[in-house]
Amino acid sequence: MKISAAWKIGLAAMALCAASAAAQAQDQLAQVKKAGELVVGTEMQFAPFDFLENGKQAGFNKELFAQIGKELGVKVRFIDLPWPSVLPGLEAHKFDMVGGPLTMTRARAERYAYTLPIADATDALLVSAKNSPIKKSSDIAGKTIGGAKDTAQLAQLKTYAATLPKAPEIREYIDNNQAYADLAAGRLVAVANSLTNIAYVAKQRPKTFAVVTPPFGAKVYYAYAMRKDADSKSLLDAFNAALVKLHKDGRLAALQKKWFGAETDAPTTMPELNF
Amino acid sequence: MFDTDTFLQGFPLLLHSATATIGVSLAGLFIGFFIAVAVCCARLSGRRWARMLGGAYVFFFRGVPMLVQLLLVYYLLPFIDINVPPIVAAISTAALCTASYIAEILRGGFLSIPPGQIEAARMLGLSSFDTLRRIQVPMAFRMTLPSLVNEMVLLTKASSLISVVGVAELTRTAQNIAASTYRPLEAYLAAALIYFVICGLLALFAHRVEHRMQRG
Repeated sequence: MKISAAWKIGLAAMALCAASAAAQAQDQLAQVKKAGELVVGTEMQFAPFDFLENGKQAGFNKELFAQIGKELGVKVRFIDLPWPSVLPGLEAHKFDMVGGPLTMTRARAERYAYTLPIADATDALLVSAKNSPIKKSSDIAGKTIGGAKDTAQLAQLKTYAATLPKAPEIREYIDNNQAYADLAAGRLVAVANSLTNIAYVAKQRPKTFAVVTPPFGAKVYYAYAMRKDADSKSLLDAFNAALVKLHKDGRLAALQKKWFGAETDAPTTMPELNF
Repeated sequence: MFDTDTFLQGFPLLLHSATATIGVSLAGLFIGFFIAVAVCCARLSGRRWARMLGGAYVFFFRGVPMLVQLLLVYYLLPFIDINVPPIVAAISTAALCTASYIAEILRGGFLSIPPGQIEAARMLGLSSFDTLRRIQVPMAFRMTLPSLVNEMVLLTKASSLISVVGVAELTRTAQNIAASTYRPLEAYLAAALIYFVICGLLALFAHRVEHRMQRG
């Protein structure tokens, strides 16, 4: 008798687990609307997209997602994580999508579903504003430069470095800001990151940093990412529809101008990924 | 060079995030202490399977870095449909991890209790649970207090790892401020000062307790 009772409880528990799994496996857009909020995992150390201003989140993401939220009729909540935790968190269903944004690459597109592009992410070099030996991108040959670990910009930098006559020494940092700090301290001659990011950094500290143009490497874009499963498809479509609307009525361009200093090229159809 | 404004303006936000640091550390310690007593008893038990179970616990939780444990709890459990919120993941991992160290500290304490004390307690009619609660744990606690305080301070500092599961604790907030103001020195110096005060207060409190117990 006792044993069968234990079995019954066990079965009931298993049924509950199965039911909760079934409840999880439903249309993501419907879930977001039901909860009334879109939860976005991001990292608050990625100016001009996400950073802190007087202790509060500021930047392009906050304002763009506010507009997207308005279109979808939901509130937006951001979760701040160190970058290496963000994509695992997406896969573990800790949030609906990733802020970031991410550089669109072929390798990532196989694992994640991208939204439409929101900005240009092509690599360029940040150098010291005073007497930098780097006048054009290829001047980094044989010198010590930095980049952030696990980023597409670092991968592009490595690809580019391999084409130079003398390989530069590439130091990898946990996040870009440590690389910028080492550049300011003279331990590096340049830091590679997307032009969008470093143009903002140089604008904030014009006495310390300058940008070397033109950018190098393949042309790539920034976009946000979602899980690549059937459930997320509805949310992805709704997000892209809202984004196209922001494109058309000029709200996206206004935000780009405000945060990147200029309108940047971001197509309204899925671009071909060339990196 | 040193920007006093950034240094001072960081404090309200850092102090706010320090509540997460203190909260998770204290909750982890409190829960961890009870787990530790159980594990320690298992390690000292007369039953072979209990000793093995306790040994396996210490082997695992002391042998795997807390950072990896956090990642396992937070990112792996959802795949078997256990989705815990960040703060629960942080506190439970801190508790499970610190328990393995405290269990070993207490074991040292338990082993140094003269057997006569326990025999006397049993002779007076105390049950084995009451002997544990009223005689063994208090004595072991008193003898191992310095090591326990050490572990407390270590856990408080190790709590800087919980940002990987999305809890905005002190170190993470300092990093965010450093990244946003481009002033790492000021941000980290302010954070260091707060850690110093927290750990200093812990040590002071422990010192008081030690004194009182010596008198009592």
